[in-house]
Amino acid sequence: MSAAAEHMDVLPGPFVHPALFYRDEREYLDATVPFVREGLAAGEAVAVAVPGERLRLVRDALGADADTVRLLDMREAGRNPGRIIPGVLRAFADTVASGRRVRIIGEPVWAGRSAAEYPACVQHEALINAAFRDRAVTILCPYDAARLPAYVLADAYATHPTVIPAGPRPRSYDPDAAVARYNEPLPLVADAMTFPFAAESLPTARHAASDEGRRLGLTGVTLEDLALATAELTTNSVLHGGGSGVLRVWAEGGHVLCEVRDGGRMTDPLAGRRPASRDQRGGRGLLMVHLIADLVRVHTGDDGTTIRCWFSR
Amino acid sequence: MWGDVDDRRTPSLTVRPLKSGRGVRAAGEIGLATHTIWERVLEQAVREGEAVYQLELSEVTFVDVAGAGALAAAAGRLGEGRRFVVRRPPSALCRVLETFWPGLSTIEVSMS
Repeated sequence: MSAAAEHMDVLPGPFVHPALFYRDEREYLDATVPFVREGLAAGEAVAVAVPGERLRLVRDALGADADTVRLLDMREAGRNPGRIIPGVLRAFADTVASGRRVRIIGEPVWAGRSAAEYPACVQHEALINAAFRDRAVTILCPYDAARLPAYVLADAYATHPTVIPAGPRPRSYDPDAAVARYNEPLPLVADAMTFPFAAESLPTARHAASDEGRRLGLTGVTLEDLALATAELTTNSVLHGGGSGVLRVWAEGGHVLCEVRDGGRMTDPLAGRRPASRDQRGGRGLLMVHLIADLVRVHTGDDGTTIRCWFSR
Repeated sequence: MWGDVDDRRTPSLTVRPLKSGRGVRAAGEIGLATHTIWERVLEQAVREGEAVYQLELSEVTFVDVAGAGALAAAAGRLGEGRRFVVRRPPSALCRVLETFWPGLSTIEVSMS
């Protein structure tokens, strides 16, 4: 690496991504409301995407200023952490004229995120850094330090270059390591509908997923989403994952899960998380899966790739 | 015509001209095995130069994201004042179009 490049690494770039550790409503509002107002005063484009109950607090505290801020309930817009970058953050930032700074409060991690969701949350937080590198964007990520366990706060140190309040912090900022650490194996589930597929059996695989999804209680748009996700994932296996794979569908609690395993390896951690431009040919399949599923988990390595998606039933 | 399909493959996509001559009726599904046929149909539709070109899709059971993308790309190549009217498409097609190409003025979806 050249001296110039080394120098670039240590300079703060235009992208700012602090975590905010708050302990109660007062601390939440004392940090978030001035953050929004500062942005508005500087002429920045401002969005707030936080869980609904917190969104109402911020909106009420902002009063008339709330009208000029984009407000989103992260429990809905960001239910699947993998859709937050394309569907929430860039969906907002990319509409802002270049040259105008963007300021977003994004709260993807809350007490009550499930054990299945949490690894996807950490990977999302880590990937924000790559997704927005060199862009004039500030994303403040509140963490409920009173209710979230210590390992969640430790992970926030790994995925955020700065943490508010400032103070002694572990020297642990390492988003790539966080992505790798939460690239957790997805163990085989017994008793799932199992369908090995290749190019010629793609339609049959989709029908098998639909039939099983219907039997497990999916209807309407959600059943169509399951079929679409199955088609996109199995087609990706045929095109990019070694030509074949194994589809599985089963139910867990309130969800129907669909999983595709193949022999490929995903080398681009942002795959499926970049919004597609209108003119781009192809490459939207995994993005569509992220946008329609309630959760997407990925495990990829030398042994192949597993993508598992959850659909509410 | 271009819609004649290799019968050894499932699924198929068959395409026939409409009696009016201003469009086609497709039947089957649009996925990896049939993208080539679908893209040829769309290229032909762009070339024919009709102001309004009908794509009757009521017998199409599924369109994947790439199939919807091919339709959007073809619609983008229609010149000024021309459009596709897509009749009774599978709902997944509408969902994908609304997600990635909202407000595309050269595709009119008709459920009648």
